Amino acid sequence: MALTCKELWREVSNYIDGTVTAQEREELEKHLAQCKHCTALVDGVHNIVVLVADGRTFKLPTGFSERLKERLRNEM
Amino acid sequence: MNRVRPRPLRKESLTKTSTVETATGQPEEAELIRRILAGERELYYDLVAPYQRMAYVSAFSVLRNEADAEDCAQEAMLKALRHLADFRGESKFGSWLVRITLNESKMKLRKLRPAQYESLDEVSDSEDGDYVPDTLSDWREIPSESLERKEVREVLQDAVRRLPEIYREVFVLRDVQNQDIASTAQVLGVSESVVKTRLLRARLQMRDLVAPLLKHSNVFSRRPVRKGTNPWR
Repeated sequence: MALTCKELWREVSNYIDGTVTAQEREELEKHLAQCKHCTALVDGVHNIVVLVADGRTFKLPTGFSERLKERLRNEM
Repeated sequence: MNRVRPRPLRKESLTKTSTVETATGQPEEAELIRRILAGERELYYDLVAPYQRMAYVSAFSVLRNEADAEDCAQEAMLKALRHLADFRGESKFGSWLVRITLNESKMKLRKLRPAQYESLDEVSDSEDGDYVPDTLSDWREIPSESLERKEVREVLQDAVRRLPEIYREVFVLRDVQNQDIASTAQVLGVSESVVKTRLLRARLQMRDLVAPLLKHSNVFSRRPVRKGTNPWR
């Protein structure tokens, strides 16, 4: 039986992380091939995952390392 | 390419700009810890340097404020130094440091903003009631080059701030810090299935929070999502 959108939503994370079985992947992709809303959902979540993993999104504040070294020096 | 790692130098470590790469080399990390405990405390910066961003982002995930996060992350690193003898090596040093940082951050939050701290436990992640994502049929890829723009980084950071605490901490550990599911579960003291459930909800909420904010921005590429395709594969 074909997957519903709701069933696909539950597997979005596992699909993106590549932790679904081959059979589950096949069923998910069969659904995605005919559902533009779920395709947009998967693409959107994947995009978020890629962007936040990029070191530029959460950078250390300028001077962080120097201030840490100073605090460590004071601790020694 | 020069692959030779600089050796940690006694007395000079805290003034060096380069560091020993310990994040991926556990034997080297264990040796550093042994030497620090044996009295070479000045090597401690070499040990924590690869984890600065991890500690900072962990603190930010709780405190949601850059200055507080910096102060707390650095305090956690000092605390880890004072208690280094208690580190048994049963988990990775980075995971141990993140646990200390999260605990410190929650204590600081309780002190700074008690009302907000009290609300941390209010969000339940029971299995009842699935999260229903917003319907968007025209999501377009946001190119990673757009991260050069402060506006885009701020949208993403703000969305992370707005996630409920239990989702935010899982999302930050797994997706910002790239910890695996098992390490995330170990750090947070929850099961892997709880991590997966919270991660799914965090990711869906992040997508729903970010999309409307960037929808009218020109950061989207002009390439629409093609029906039935997964562009990252």
